[in-house]
Amino acid sequence: MGTAPVRTGRAERLRAPLLVALWCLLGVDAAGGLAIFFARLAWGTTPAVAVHVWVGLALAATYTAYQIGHWSRVSPFRARLDYALGLVAALTLTATLVTGLVLALPWWRARASGQPVAYPPLLSAVHNIGSMLVLTFVGAHLGAVLWRDRGRR
Amino acid sequence: MSIPPFSIFSAVSELFVTALVFYVVRRNWTRRPFPFGVFLVGVLFEACVNVLYMANRAAQASSGAEHVSTGLKVFYALHGMLSLLAYLVFVILGVIAYLEQRAGRFFFRAHPVLTWSFLALWTVSIVSGETVFVVRYLL
Repeated sequence: MGTAPVRTGRAERLRAPLLVALWCLLGVDAAGGLAIFFARLAWGTTPAVAVHVWVGLALAATYTAYQIGHWSRVSPFRARLDYALGLVAALTLTATLVTGLVLALPWWRARASGQPVAYPPLLSAVHNIGSMLVLTFVGAHLGAVLWRDRGRR
Repeated sequence: MSIPPFSIFSAVSELFVTALVFYVVRRNWTRRPFPFGVFLVGVLFEACVNVLYMANRAAQASSGAEHVSTGLKVFYALHGMLSLLAYLVFVILGVIAYLEQRAGRFFFRAHPVLTWSFLALWTVSIVSGETVFVVRYLL
């Protein structure tokens, strides 16, 4: 009783343009980030950093807009696994976006001067770890929410 | 060549984390209560210690400070990506298994193909990591 409207509402929210845009931007930035991680380690190159930075900026703006609406709908915080995973996902995504924007500053300066970019190692490590945790905990949060609904059927 | 203490710690601790992963899956497989605390410790430890180690090693290797062949660097990178995938799958499957357990179902037991595929992925990830350690420092 009452689960059908919940599922219908969720199905509509999963197809909302803002969320679809967020998924697309996250997918493109994650794929670009992994490509940079791999190429930097294997060959010392950083392919398509400009795309990664600009998509990251768009992702930051889209995520901020999405998170404000999402939190206004699901608040207050509840002591449940899906909430805890969502909180971890939100914190890691925020940390990853902020460190990414800070890392973009030396890239921007070097881009103008043509000099090689010297990324701060610790900040770079935090950004790498954060991006890996984002993929993990966004996936776990989504899995927990969808599995919870599935269990109600 | 002297082996950095953090490398030894990481190489050994990965074996303990692997034992923990197999313990979590086995408990669920044998229809016993899901050890959520053990699962959480493994997830946090892997995130804080070993992912940090991997990121630091990646930064060092890519800086050119260490003389490492290109082939080994590619192997490092492949191992890094595989470790990420294995960790991601472990967290997601563990969360689902925990939720299923609360509903009286045993996720890993109910999905043997997925379970064995995950364990194979995890094993390949760990073996590749230990191979990196052996090739880099012991051979």
